Amino acid sequence: MSPMAEKKRYAFVIDVARCIDCRACLVACRAENQVPIPHTRIWVKDLGVQGEFPRLERTFVPYNCMHCDEPPCVDACPTGATYKDPETGLVLIDQEACIGCGLCVEACPYDARYIDPQRGVADKCTACAHRLERGEQPACVATCLGGSRLFGDLNDPESEVSIALREAESVQRLVGDQVDPEPNIYYINADVLQAGLLPRPPRSPAAAEIWRKVAVPAVLTGIGLSFAAQAGAFAKQLIEGEEEFEE
Amino acid sequence: MSGPIHIPLHERKRLREKKLTKHHVANILTHWFNVAGWALLLPTGLAILTSPRLAPDWWVIGMRNLFGGLASLIEFHYSVGLIWMAVLTFNILVGFRKYFVPFSRERMLLSRDDIEWLKLKPLQMMGLAKGRPLPPQDAYNAGQKLYMYLVIVGSLFIGLSGMVMTFHQAFPVWMKQWAMVVHFVSVGLVVAGLIIHVYMGAVFPEEREAFFSMFSGKVSAW
Repeated sequence: MSPMAEKKRYAFVIDVARCIDCRACLVACRAENQVPIPHTRIWVKDLGVQGEFPRLERTFVPYNCMHCDEPPCVDACPTGATYKDPETGLVLIDQEACIGCGLCVEACPYDARYIDPQRGVADKCTACAHRLERGEQPACVATCLGGSRLFGDLNDPESEVSIALREAESVQRLVGDQVDPEPNIYYINADVLQAGLLPRPPRSPAAAEIWRKVAVPAVLTGIGLSFAAQAGAFAKQLIEGEEEFEE
Repeated sequence: MSGPIHIPLHERKRLREKKLTKHHVANILTHWFNVAGWALLLPTGLAILTSPRLAPDWWVIGMRNLFGGLASLIEFHYSVGLIWMAVLTFNILVGFRKYFVPFSRERMLLSRDDIEWLKLKPLQMMGLAKGRPLPPQDAYNAGQKLYMYLVIVGSLFIGLSGMVMTFHQAFPVWMKQWAMVVHFVSVGLVVAGLIIHVYMGAVFPEEREAFFSMFSGKVSAW
């Protein structure tokens, strides 16, 4: 790795043509991160059989948190428990701070998050940040039999992902016309921009809408009026002076 | 009620020397405990909230750095919050018959004069109906009584919604979402009143004695 690149820009590169839907990545992820059944942090999406007999093809698309550059989940989180790590670019969750309000789950255009009912917190792919610290690859990447899943630093031109992107026949990211949170999974060598994989607009539950659009303006107005009232009274008190007794 | 009663100056001066007990020691201690709780909870709460964000960046970052991160800051906030709730609940239960019931009965219920005061005072504050005398008020005026209701209901909502967020494993997602809104609105309304409360209690000349009565418990008869 280049010593010049101090800040990392981690990304997944997925060679779609090499995925055979063995789902070893799902097993490895669950084992590594103790993901409770029936939840999962990663998926292999099946685009189904396409084409005309005898020229049929079937595409499998490995899929997980896209670690977006403009993550709607981070904007939605009321406390910053979900954040984008400035050193690595990974979108992570401080699960000791998270209360599992689920606003990030609704906001994620890729439905890549879930609420862990046992711990009452949000959970999702961390790119196995704990393994990266030890210099290891994410569990799904390390276990991928076909070499479909690649992971590394895009700021390093000699990294496996940088080389794969340079040599790819095609590169796509899952973005729509209206929704582009600048995802950091690059799909190479297949057309994945198909219905069922494209991101949805971020959602915001009724409570969050009322909070932001009604409660915040109302409370700020109330506090403002209250402050203005006492400021007015205080000014009057200073101007008019004080009398203990009037006769 | 009849018109204003004229009390001569020398009598008013004599009444000023005469001290009445307005607050019991238990109430004074509970009040200042409540102040300490708010002084710790409001600044930390503002630093926890980033979306919607009310506090400036330097405050949010400074508090998080001071406490060693968001998780520790939240832990401090809910720990103080739980102590705040526990002590207030304990005080109410322990003093229930001696303080709480008489206080509720004698000082909190709105009388007919209070209703009249509430109709007249806002008009007078807008410069209208200056000629009409305000009805006599008890230990607390009707405005203070209304604020007391807001504080009691607000504290209850703040405590309950805080519990939902603190023990988040035990509650469904929708309840946590609404708990955040309820917590925010309740704190906001109490703070809006608190600004007036602090001004009236500590700065406003006609209520100057109120400030010292929160230490000594005494007010003068005039």
